[in-house]
Amino acid sequence: MKRSSIRARLIGIVVLSQALLAAGLLFTGIYYTQRRLLSTLDAAMQARAMSLAALVRYTEDGSGNLYFDDSLIPPSIDPAHPDLFAVWTQGSRLLAHSANWPQGLEIPQQGGDHWRFKWAHVRYRGLRVFQAPVLDREEGDTFRAQTLTIVYATPLIQLDQQVKAAGWFIALWSIFLLGATVLLALWGIRRGLLPLQQLAAQAAQVSTDHWELQPPEDADKIAELRPLVQSMTTMLARLEHSFVQQKEFMGNAAHELKTPVAVLKSTLQSLLQRPRSSEEYQKGLEHSLEDLQRLEQLLQWMLRLARAEQWAHGALRRDLQVIDVTATCEEAVERIRHLAEERRMTIHLSKNGPVPLRADPEDLQQVWSNLLENAVRYGPEGGTIEVEVGRMQGGPARVVVADHGPGIPADELPQVFERFYRGDPSRNRATGGFGLGLAIAKALVEAYGGTIRAESSPGQGTRMMVELPVSFS
Amino acid sequence: MRVLIIEDEPRLAENIARSLRESAGYAVDIANDGQEGLFLAESNEYDAILLDLMLPHMDGLELLRRIRKTGQHTPVLVVTAREEKESVVALLNAGADDYVTKPFDLGELLARTKALIRRGKGQPSPVLSIGDLELNTVTRSVYRGGRAVTLTAMEYRVLEYLLHRPRAVISKTELLEHLYDYNWEKFSNVIEVYISGLRRKLDDGSAKQLIHTIRGQGYVLQD
Repeated sequence: MKRSSIRARLIGIVVLSQALLAAGLLFTGIYYTQRRLLSTLDAAMQARAMSLAALVRYTEDGSGNLYFDDSLIPPSIDPAHPDLFAVWTQGSRLLAHSANWPQGLEIPQQGGDHWRFKWAHVRYRGLRVFQAPVLDREEGDTFRAQTLTIVYATPLIQLDQQVKAAGWFIALWSIFLLGATVLLALWGIRRGLLPLQQLAAQAAQVSTDHWELQPPEDADKIAELRPLVQSMTTMLARLEHSFVQQKEFMGNAAHELKTPVAVLKSTLQSLLQRPRSSEEYQKGLEHSLEDLQRLEQLLQWMLRLARAEQWAHGALRRDLQVIDVTATCEEAVERIRHLAEERRMTIHLSKNGPVPLRADPEDLQQVWSNLLENAVRYGPEGGTIEVEVGRMQGGPARVVVADHGPGIPADELPQVFERFYRGDPSRNRATGGFGLGLAIAKALVEAYGGTIRAESSPGQGTRMMVELPVSFS
Repeated sequence: MRVLIIEDEPRLAENIARSLRESAGYAVDIANDGQEGLFLAESNEYDAILLDLMLPHMDGLELLRRIRKTGQHTPVLVVTAREEKESVVALLNAGADDYVTKPFDLGELLARTKALIRRGKGQPSPVLSIGDLELNTVTRSVYRGGRAVTLTAMEYRVLEYLLHRPRAVISKTELLEHLYDYNWEKFSNVIEVYISGLRRKLDDGSAKQLIHTIRGQGYVLQD
């Protein structure tokens, strides 16, 4: 698995964006500096070209001939690197030029006023001024006014140095700022992630003995952490609930299994304690067999519960056919009739035609049987049990099993579906149950997406209501 | 010795009772739920109580606390299906003296009960003695000056009880209460018979009389 770190990613993003920013800044900085310096340079060149034009004079003789007064040549822009210039008359006569003027320099006749060229490994910026007027003309001169062509060029050495310096300045500052930003980001991320680390440390404290999650104080103030804290808290609550339930179940199951084993063991041990009469042995063995059968029954119920709960968790997948709920009720009533007759109880089944449902008929019969068994077991002798089966208008299939027994006290009502719960706390064989019937019924009903609930008023009896969503898909 | 068993599984209670009666010669009462158990424990003198934890009507732990609240020192041996540490700790803290977990061994339960009764009466050794009289509670044999004495079951039980509390005046009622189960009143006249039988067998050939009668109060075992 590829590991990644939020911190590394965030730092990466910060560095990348800072680097892009620095590059952009460097580029625009250099560009802007160069433009500014060039325009200053151009102005200086223009001024010098004009000064040169001013040095071109007409001869005194009135012939209109020109001469160049080389006593007043303006100084180079960069004293360390002399500028180049040349002045031509209208007739392309080279009137004057600087001492270092390169003969044979090609001057482009097209394009703007400025151009660049390289001479003797030095980059130059040139200015061409065509048809510059000779400024010396006075009022009354009869000759035709002449124009000049002036070329002025200056090496770009100083400018390049300045641009380079500006570039370095920007670059160094960018690097410094980048470093500072990374440090700041690291600090900020560390600080920002601190509540997360505290939360993780707190979460590590959670164990099966200590379910309390104490989120760090700031965790609740941080919008990003709040949903995490909330979902962790609810998840822990759910886990704790099911863990406690599981533990209770294990304790109860251990008790329920160990007691019959203890009975069996003590019966056999006390039989062996001393020689007994054959009647005593016979009786002991009969008792042992009874206890063994009860143990076997308990195991069967526990396996049924395990299977029902596995079903509910979708571990078992079966191909389900559409069956009739009413028929399963009839079957369950038929199965319990023998036990009901023993207690002189009557079972009324009121039905309203077939109720189709996609289900395993064995499962549904199990549910109805468990409900009926409870009703028969806890109802008064000679009483009646009502079973209603039907489908609510456009709604779920509904089965109600009602008895007229002593009822269940309101405070015990929520517990009746818990595993090993018994309304009658005396666990003797007269009532016989293991307290698993309703838990199995609940698990099965929930496996089909249905609901089961109990309504009871003491003295009036208990109504068990099952609703199963009808689906034909 | 008289023992109370509080256990809601009747067959288990009966098996333990039978074993205690047959192997230790104890008188045994049985209560099948917590309320009955509390009533019996409060209204009778027991030498030990065997208590199941999961009981109808009243939880075993609650019952234990109530018994201890009344100031009863009767040793209590808890029989439990739970083995978790916390429930064992809760048991001992509530005043239980010992516990066995289901399914237990009857022999072990018996030995633990005997040991609890001995310790409850300040007699840690399984061999009880006074002067040259010796009684082994494990082999249930009695010697006087190295000579084996053969006793009937009831004579043995009377002597065992007297030996657990030597030099103390023990009334006839106390003897009856500790030697018989709840029917003890029916037997009120038989104690004299056992005492005289014991005197005859123990003091036979010895210069010193061990069992003394204190008129109007009861009996004392003294050398």
